[in-house]
Order: sequence, then structure tokens, then C-alpha cells
Amino acid sequence: MALSVSDLKDKFRNPGPAELELIARYAMLPESAQRERAFEAFAETGLPHRRMEAWKWTDFKSAIKAVEAPSKAAQCAPLPAAEHVIEFAGSKVSLPDTLPAGIELHERADAQALGGAETVPLGAMTAALSGRVGGLGTLIIEVAGETSAPLHIVTKGDRDETNFARVAVIVRPGASLDLIESHVGGAGFSSFLIEIGMQDGGEVRRTVLQRGSGDEAQALTAIINLGAKSEYTQTALAFGAKVARLETRLTHRESESHATLNGAYLCAKGFHADFTSHVLHGAPSSVTRQVTKGAVLDGGTGVFQGKFLVPRTIGQHTDADMQHQALLLEDGAEVFAKPELEIYADDVECAHGNTSGALDPNQLFYMRQRGIPEAQARALLTEAFVAEALEGANEGVREAMLDAARSFLTETVR
Amino acid sequence: MRPMLKLDQLSATVGEDDEAKTIIDGLSLEVPAGEVHAIMGPNGAGKSTLSYVLTGRDGYEVTGGTATLEGDDLLDMDPEERAAKGLFLSFQYPVEIPGVPVMTFVRTAMNAQRTARGEEEISAPDFIKKSRELGAQLNLSAEMLKRPLNVGFSGGEKKRLEIFQMMMLEPRFAILDETDSGLDIDALRTVADGVNALRNPERGMLVITHYQRLLDHIKPDRVHVLAGGKIIKTGGPDLALRLEKEGYDGVLGEAA
Repeated sequence: MALSVSDLKDKFRNPGPAELELIARYAMLPESAQRERAFEAFAETGLPHRRMEAWKWTDFKSAIKAVEAPSKAAQCAPLPAAEHVIEFAGSKVSLPDTLPAGIELHERADAQALGGAETVPLGAMTAALSGRVGGLGTLIIEVAGETSAPLHIVTKGDRDETNFARVAVIVRPGASLDLIESHVGGAGFSSFLIEIGMQDGGEVRRTVLQRGSGDEAQALTAIINLGAKSEYTQTALAFGAKVARLETRLTHRESESHATLNGAYLCAKGFHADFTSHVLHGAPSSVTRQVTKGAVLDGGTGVFQGKFLVPRTIGQHTDADMQHQALLLEDGAEVFAKPELEIYADDVECAHGNTSGALDPNQLFYMRQRGIPEAQARALLTEAFVAEALEGANEGVREAMLDAARSFLTETVR
Repeated sequence: MRPMLKLDQLSATVGEDDEAKTIIDGLSLEVPAGEVHAIMGPNGAGKSTLSYVLTGRDGYEVTGGTATLEGDDLLDMDPEERAAKGLFLSFQYPVEIPGVPVMTFVRTAMNAQRTARGEEEISAPDFIKKSRELGAQLNLSAEMLKRPLNVGFSGGEKKRLEIFQMMMLEPRFAILDETDSGLDIDALRTVADGVNALRNPERGMLVITHYQRLLDHIKPDRVHVLAGGKIIKTGGPDLALRLEKEGYDGVLGEAA
């Protein structure tokens, strides 16, 4: 073995049992300079924890006591897009027999150059550990034309200890990709890293479902770079897990790019969902629209952390709006929100709004007066509330997302 | 004639514990099936409180008396049970429900009531046919019925939508709370036509209003004057005309 576990261990401050296991796994992987950089970045923090400002509400270190299989396999079916499926299942990867026109897949054993993943602890960890011995390290999706059909990425464990996967997407000038992702858990610790580099005039629509069980940790990290006049639309529905974080770091690299980052979280007792995003307006005249909605029950936790950073000269003529609205459906529900606008340019339009509250008793009474039982009225109002954030989803799976939200609310909202 | 709605010495308070204020104070009233009764009264008489107490809104506590609909104790039921029993309130201020289209809302309500009564749900084609016919009658376009309930509707449109819901749900007993407020003359006529179309020997109605003008279009069988939380005078349709001419002070002065 080329790498000594004890040397690697010394890079971490107070590694816990889960981190020691991850270090041992890293030591088994083939050496690579890129992977080493990612590992070094991960070693800086270890599993992120509450004493780190960006992780104060979402503590992976204390949630993952040990790397172990969950009590159940994935409970939730992937979104109904059965064609062109790439599935990451524990140590196995299955690729589709056919691909939509315009898409090519390249399998790489070692990690490719990072698109900034090392700035996110779990992104760095995934880049360091996504490799399988003698197998796929990074899957590269190259999109060279207008794609004819959606590509569906599924991460789904079968009572695995971990499920780490890394995908890089290159969108050539003027090309478009319709990407659907179902992250349905089934592993004690799942972490998915996607880096999307969009060249000029590219278009990507990304539709995401996240649903783990109450004894799993799940991380979805997306690093997005936008070229000139490119358009990126992200729509995510999260049900959380014991701890779950959907983190998006997006950079407007060239002017006149357009980003939409919408999401909804629904958290029952014992579930935690975190939407964190960082948007850098690194080029003039770019647009960002962000709507995040959440509904949380007693014992559930929702987190929203959003940041827009608009530098002095290059950020001129930015147009950005961030909205977060949460419904606390019961006493004992918890929502933590930190919306941040950091603006140094002087000719911009930036706004944000952040609200949280209960369902409106006037609306509930009106509905009950018409004969709709209270639980059904609450579910209907909550569904209508979150549905707005899901309008941009792929139309082939949007109804399934709304159905999932509806049945969650009908079964759990009382 | 058998009373359909029967209120006997009903009393109710609004507000919490120490702050509780008596608004309805020993109110008795009987409305037989097939009749339309009007309740008129000055501001603060307890008109809207009466409609909320009868429909079971939170925040109102019944402190005495009884209220029955066809012999069943209304006060013992949840709001949705009262609705399934056939009690409908046309709200003075209809509530906006963002994200829920009118058609979805009404169909959900209709089927919830039917399920509660052990009846079959309405089929989609039957529902659409009925809603188109009634929509046309009330000048509500198909496009409006697809919009979220009451969101962005004018005051008059909201009131027409209340009557639309009433005609769709076909309640046994309807309470119309200040249905004329916010209506211009044409809309008033449309709304009144809708209400009159629902008059039949099996259905009772209570029309709560501040002004006489609605009663020009919906002719009541009886008129009651509500003041200080109780009915202080009852008469025929001419009582409404007298109130209009002499004012509440005149009529109340005589009653006191």
C-alpha cells in the first residue's frame, strides 16, 4: 500500500470512527494527484459539523457516528423516467444501453480537475472517495447538441454502507441537457457530487428528488458554472433524511447568463433537509431567480441558507431575487434561515424575502365550511404552497413530484 | 310549519377567557323549510358573529342555548360536519386560496361532503357540465374557474363565486352574510337571480344584510331585527322598508 493510513490520519483533527473508516477507504484507492488535492481539502475540515459557520444547523459529523448500513433499503421509487438511466448503487454503476442524441459518456478511473468542489467539504470528500478500486471514478457527460430526451441519474443503495458518486457535465456551446435526478437513499451515507460547466448559450434543466430514511445521511453537492447567455434551471424536492443537505454553488462566469434555483422541502418528525446555495455574479448583466418553500412538522427541521455575492465592477447590472417561505405546520417544527445579499456593485437590482409562519386559520375555516375535513384542508393548502417552487420541473415527472408531496401531506399532516 | 333552523336562547362570546365579550345574548329564531328570512341590524349588532357561531368558527364560544338544523345539534359538530349536513355560508369577505383553482376546490368540497354523507362522488364529466352551466348563468368564464380561488378577483366576482359554490353544492340551508356589499347593480341582479333559483320548498335561507336593497331582489318571507345580540322585532317584508325609511333608531326606539 502506497499510502499510510496513520500519515493520512494525522491530517485530520480528532477524526471520529466514521472519518477513520473514510480514511482507510481512501488509502485503498489508486493514487492520483487530483484525488489527493480533494482529500487534502476534505482533511481540512473532516466531516462538517456545527462549529463551522456554514454547517451550524446541519451537523454531519454528529449524525454519522459510524459508517454502517441503514436498517432498510431505499423506500422510495425513483422518478418515473425509465429511459436513459444511469444508476449508482453502492459499489455498482449501471449505464444505459442507449443515450439521447447529442450525449456522450466518458468513464474515468481517477478524478478529473475540480470545478471548485474542494470549497465544499462534502464535495471534496466525494471527489476523493468516489473512485472504486479498478473502476469508475468520475463519469463525464458531454453534451454537444440539443438533446432529444431527458437523462436520468439515480442513486439508490441496497442497504449499502456508502454510496459516493461523482459526475461532471460539459455542455458545449448552444447545447442543451434535460437532467433528472432521483436520490432515494438506501445507504448509510450517500454523497453525490455534480459539476456542470456550461459554455456560451448552453441550456440545462435539472430536476431533483431527494428522499432518504430516518437513519441515513445524504449530501447532494452541485458546482455550476455558467457561460455567456446560458440558462440553468434547477428544481428540487427534498424530504430530507436523518441529515440531508442540497448544496449548490453557482457562478455566473460570463455576462447575460440566467439561473433559476427553486426548491421545496417537506420534513416529518426525525427528518432534516437543508438547502444551501451560493451564487456569485462574476459577470455583468446576469439574472438569478430563487424561490425556496418548505413545510415542516413537529420534530422536523428545515434549513435555508442562501447567499448572493455581487462583486464591485464585474457584477454590474445584476438582477437577482431570493425568496424563502416556510410553513411551520405544528408546534415543535423547526426552520432555520439565513438569507444573505452581499453586494458591492452599485447598479444592480437585488431583493430578498424570508417568511415563516403557520397556515392561515381564515383559509382553513373557509375550506372546512365548504365541507373539506381539516386534515385534507391542511394538506391541500400546504401542497398549493409548495407547488409554486416546483413549476419549473421536467413536465414528465412534475406530476409525480406533486403526487409524492400530496401523499406525504395526506398521510402525515393532521 | 316545521322549523328547519331553530335557535333557542342562543348566547355566545368572542375572545379568550377574561377578554370574552358577549355578542349573541339569548337569541331565538325559527326558519321553516321553504322560507327565506332576513336579518337586519345596525353595525355591531352581532350579525356576522351569528353566522360564524352557526358555522362553527374557532374563537367563538357558545355559552348557552341551542341551535339545531332539522333536529340535529349543530353546536356539537365540526365545521365540515355542519357543511356535510347541508349548512352553507356565503362569506362577507371570501378568502383567497392561492394555488388552488376554483374547479379543484369546489370538486374537492363537493366530494368531501358526498363522502361524509355516504354518497358517491360526482363524476368528472357531470361536474364539468354542471359547473359550465352554472358558470354561464353567473357570468363566470371557464378561464376564471381555472384561476386560484378568489385570487385577483374583484369584490363583485368574489360574491358571484360564493353564489356559484352555493349553486354547485346545493345546500339544505344557506346563510348569506352581507352578500350585497361590494356589488354593483348588475352584479346584484345576477347574484339575486342565482339565489332565487335555489329557492324551493325543501331549502331554507337566512339573508343577513345591512341595507334594504338586496331585499328588493331577494324577497324575504320574514324580516328580523337584530340588536344587542337578540332579535328585538320580527315582521313581514314591509318591516325592511320601514327600517330603510325610519332608520334603526326609529324602529329600535319603538321596540325599546
